[in-house]
Amino acid sequence: MNEWIFPVLFLVPVLSSIPIALAYRREDIVRKLPPVSVAGIFISLVCSLYILFHEEFMDKSFSYEWIPQLGIDMVLRIDYLSASMGVITALIAFIIAVYGLDYMKDDYRLPWYWFFFNLFTASMLLVVYSDNLFLLFVGWEGLGIASWGLIGHWYRDDDDITFVGVPERRLGPLKLWWPPSLGGWRAISTIRFGDVPMFLAIAAIWMLSEGHNLNISEIDWESLFLKAGTAGTIIIFTMFLLGLFTKSAQLPFSEWLMTAMTGPTTVSALLHSATMVAAGAFVFIKVSWYIKPWHLHDVPGLEFVYMFVLFVGLISALYGALVATGMLERKVLLAASTMSSLGLMFGTAAASYWIHPDGINLALLVAFWYMAVHAFAKATLFLVSGHLIHATHGRFSEGDSEFAMKMKPAFAATVIATTFLVGIPPLTAYWVKSAMDHVFEHLIEHGMLLPFLLLISASLCYSAILARFLSLNFFRGGRPHHEHVEGCPLMKLGYLMMVSVVFILLYVIFTHEETHEFVAAGLALSSMAVGIAVTIAYIGAVFKPRIETLSKIGTFFNDRMLLPALNDVISPAIGFSVAKAVNIGNRGIDAFCNTKVMPALFDMMSRAIRAIQTGYLKDYTKIVLGIVMFFLIMGALWGVMP
Amino acid sequence: MTDGIWVIAGIVSLLILVSGAVLSYKDSRFGLISAIIAVIVAFIASSITGSFGYVVFVLAISLLNIFSLEAMQNDIKGIDYGLVGLIALATMFILNTDDLAYVLTALVIVSVPTYILVMLREGAVDVEIGVKYIVFMVFATVLFLIGAIIIASGAEGIMLTLGYVMLVVGLSLEVGVAPLHEWVPDVFAAADPIPVSVIASIAKIVPFVAAFRILASTPDVEIAAISLTAVIAAFSMFVGNIGALTAREHARVLAYSTVANMGYMLTCLVAVSVSVSHVSVSHAHKEVQMAALLGGVLLLFANAAGKIGFFNAIKGEGACSPLLYTLSFSFIGVPPLLGFWGKFFILISLVSAALAAQFHWLYWLAGILVLNSAVSIPYYIRLARELGSCWKANITNYIVAAATVITLITVFLYIPVAWFPADIGSIEIPISLPAAGG
Repeated sequence: MNEWIFPVLFLVPVLSSIPIALAYRREDIVRKLPPVSVAGIFISLVCSLYILFHEEFMDKSFSYEWIPQLGIDMVLRIDYLSASMGVITALIAFIIAVYGLDYMKDDYRLPWYWFFFNLFTASMLLVVYSDNLFLLFVGWEGLGIASWGLIGHWYRDDDDITFVGVPERRLGPLKLWWPPSLGGWRAISTIRFGDVPMFLAIAAIWMLSEGHNLNISEIDWESLFLKAGTAGTIIIFTMFLLGLFTKSAQLPFSEWLMTAMTGPTTVSALLHSATMVAAGAFVFIKVSWYIKPWHLHDVPGLEFVYMFVLFVGLISALYGALVATGMLERKVLLAASTMSSLGLMFGTAAASYWIHPDGINLALLVAFWYMAVHAFAKATLFLVSGHLIHATHGRFSEGDSEFAMKMKPAFAATVIATTFLVGIPPLTAYWVKSAMDHVFEHLIEHGMLLPFLLLISASLCYSAILARFLSLNFFRGGRPHHEHVEGCPLMKLGYLMMVSVVFILLYVIFTHEETHEFVAAGLALSSMAVGIAVTIAYIGAVFKPRIETLSKIGTFFNDRMLLPALNDVISPAIGFSVAKAVNIGNRGIDAFCNTKVMPALFDMMSRAIRAIQTGYLKDYTKIVLGIVMFFLIMGALWGVMP
Repeated sequence: MTDGIWVIAGIVSLLILVSGAVLSYKDSRFGLISAIIAVIVAFIASSITGSFGYVVFVLAISLLNIFSLEAMQNDIKGIDYGLVGLIALATMFILNTDDLAYVLTALVIVSVPTYILVMLREGAVDVEIGVKYIVFMVFATVLFLIGAIIIASGAEGIMLTLGYVMLVVGLSLEVGVAPLHEWVPDVFAAADPIPVSVIASIAKIVPFVAAFRILASTPDVEIAAISLTAVIAAFSMFVGNIGALTAREHARVLAYSTVANMGYMLTCLVAVSVSVSHVSVSHAHKEVQMAALLGGVLLLFANAAGKIGFFNAIKGEGACSPLLYTLSFSFIGVPPLLGFWGKFFILISLVSAALAAQFHWLYWLAGILVLNSAVSIPYYIRLARELGSCWKANITNYIVAAATVITLITVFLYIPVAWFPADIGSIEIPISLPAAGG
């Protein structure tokens, strides 16, 4: 077996970005080196394709010794999920890297960009292929650091076009515009907030698992949960989920994703739509794949956990779609829609608890497939968005049909990506969404109607917002203030390549056995009804992207229902009040131990001890004789005691 | 065979000392040279008889004491070297005998020269200090000797307890354990720093080794009496450390530091008596004794080096700052300095005695020792800060540097653990107490 492929897969992207990182002082060399970094990612893509198409890798684990003292090995597992997700990751990274050759060519910090871009790709691949939770966590942290580095890439905060929000807009103490450096900070601080409990959860799993095993596919989850008890299961899972929810921007941790749009568009496309933010949902799908919660209905606490994820996901989906209806910033609108899609992935994967499959759990399969379709379609929209920002020199949506005719490839890619993603029959996402409807219809049988209603509302809203994106940029957004439509061949190539993949996915749905249920679900009457409703919402929003009478609600939605206050006002206030309380405590302790009470006490005792030193021999003789006599009497008394 | 070597070496050393002292009326350098030669002869003889680790430290400390006398002029210049040489001889000799009479003789030989040394000062003799010191020393020596002889007479019950208490009280008075420490701050502050550095360093070793050897051979001591010793030890640690915190004169700070250190030392004797009288498992018994002895001896050496350094710094009105800080850290017990190893092994002995005998109050004693090490930090740092200055090429700075090297020796070599166990055996050999056997 060709196991050498793994080091190549993970290390080549990083190694290929080292020359440009080292040459950071030589501008002339730096300009020539980006293709080397792109070639590194291409090699990873070839490796991931090799793994996907070679049966001998499938459903096998590959283990390498790592920390024998703790029984932790580097374990990689190739299964349906990781083999497919590896290709999705590497392919999207490669296409975006090609696009980036054009998009970033005049950038002032290329070594930084390419190093973190490639580090990100390697980290994401590590997360995808890892079976061992600790190894996965290493990749996970790589995602966090790369995300911070890339969001804050334009650290000088000197160009308004890189900001998020309306400049100088304030609501009380809340500032509603964010520069790139602040965006980077908001991302890393939110993600760290989730990563620490996630790490503790991994430690708890290590403690509780049979033989201190951390391999997702090998842990006896049932006995682990039973050992942890109801409260233990809920606590461990919740801590683990904090890592996933923060990374995937689920409520109430969604704010960082909106301001992550201060980063370069390539970064938004790769990290903040297609791959990194999807990592949270992916890990949840992967873990559920092996936990098989549908078999564990006897485990107390597990139903609560899956119910929790179901509602967090669906409410996040609806929230994301709703706030996007009021947004005008191209990338932020797409970010909110991404959050919405991620919510659907979580919600659908959580529904697996109530689905009893014969083979693969339909809910998990649907969640994964939706992730795949979303990745390519949304990445396309981001890449288009980057080109539009480049062409109009503005981050707010603008453009009319004349502009659309000048930007034909971008326009075409947008039409395809939006229609294929929202669930219009018979395009790609329709079949996946139909299966999703089917899963949630199944929940109604378990007495849960609300999830189905949330799904339908989110889907209709979602369809409208992507149609709105199309309309505001190509039909009804007015004349752009600035037009620069020439050139950029690699950018066009990038999004056209990206959008073409949705056709391949459509083909795969119809030709592969595991997705035949998607087709069956799509042919159901109820699914068609939903499909038609989605289509109507789409067409309606294309023709009427803005409703003046609702502009106040739109502004409230554009302010993300004031959720930024959580990150920018409430959390800092809590932090400062804790710091103040600690400071008061510190001063109290300091006064007690160091400056007031104890020193005074010691001072007093010390003076008392020294007070007997009168200097007179007669005094000393009396003291000493007295004490000696006392001791001798004590000795004599003990001596006579039985 | 080895006894024979020591008899010859002892006589030769004494002859050298005496002739040096006589010749020093002509020129004081004869006194210096004869003291050095006598100490080296005794050192060689002791090394042959197999206690190298112990005697090499004693040699180093006694040479420092002898050289430091160069820093002061006095009325008996020349003979003073001989007096320190005599103390050194007795300190080395005490390991080479298992006869109680010789052990007690060594104690007296160490004690008497200090009566003279303490009175010396530049160009005069301080009789008042001498009286204050001698009164307590005589009282202490008498109590110690009577206690030792009662124990050796094979006493049981009340007499054994009384003998034990007398021995401990005599020792406490002799070395300055609180609450019998009243003479220490006065004598340390009023006398010349150089003779005090002798009294505070090498002269402390023999009383403890003698007490250790006697108590290590004395079973059946009442636990109540042993716990009295523990209370005295704890009390002394607190009195010494807390007293030093606000003392202003440097010599007084060092006097209270001695009171505290002698408290630490007394805990070794507690561990030893517990193991001899209340631990039946022989290997546990052995372990406690070994650790107590190792810790006690190392702490005495660390104390000696530190006191020599600091008193010389006082004499020279300051010494090189980094050197004084190193000595302070050794006193505090910062690893890997010599002082750390002393406290470390004492703690080991207390904890193993607590485990073996199931006496939980010994853990408290260990805790008090650690707590007291922390309490001592401010005044040792203050001493180093106030006495610290730039390096000057004078005798006191050299002495301080040499003392620092002694505390640093455990940094370079794996000494405490590697050297001693083999040597310690000779200290551990029970003293033949004529009547106790019967």
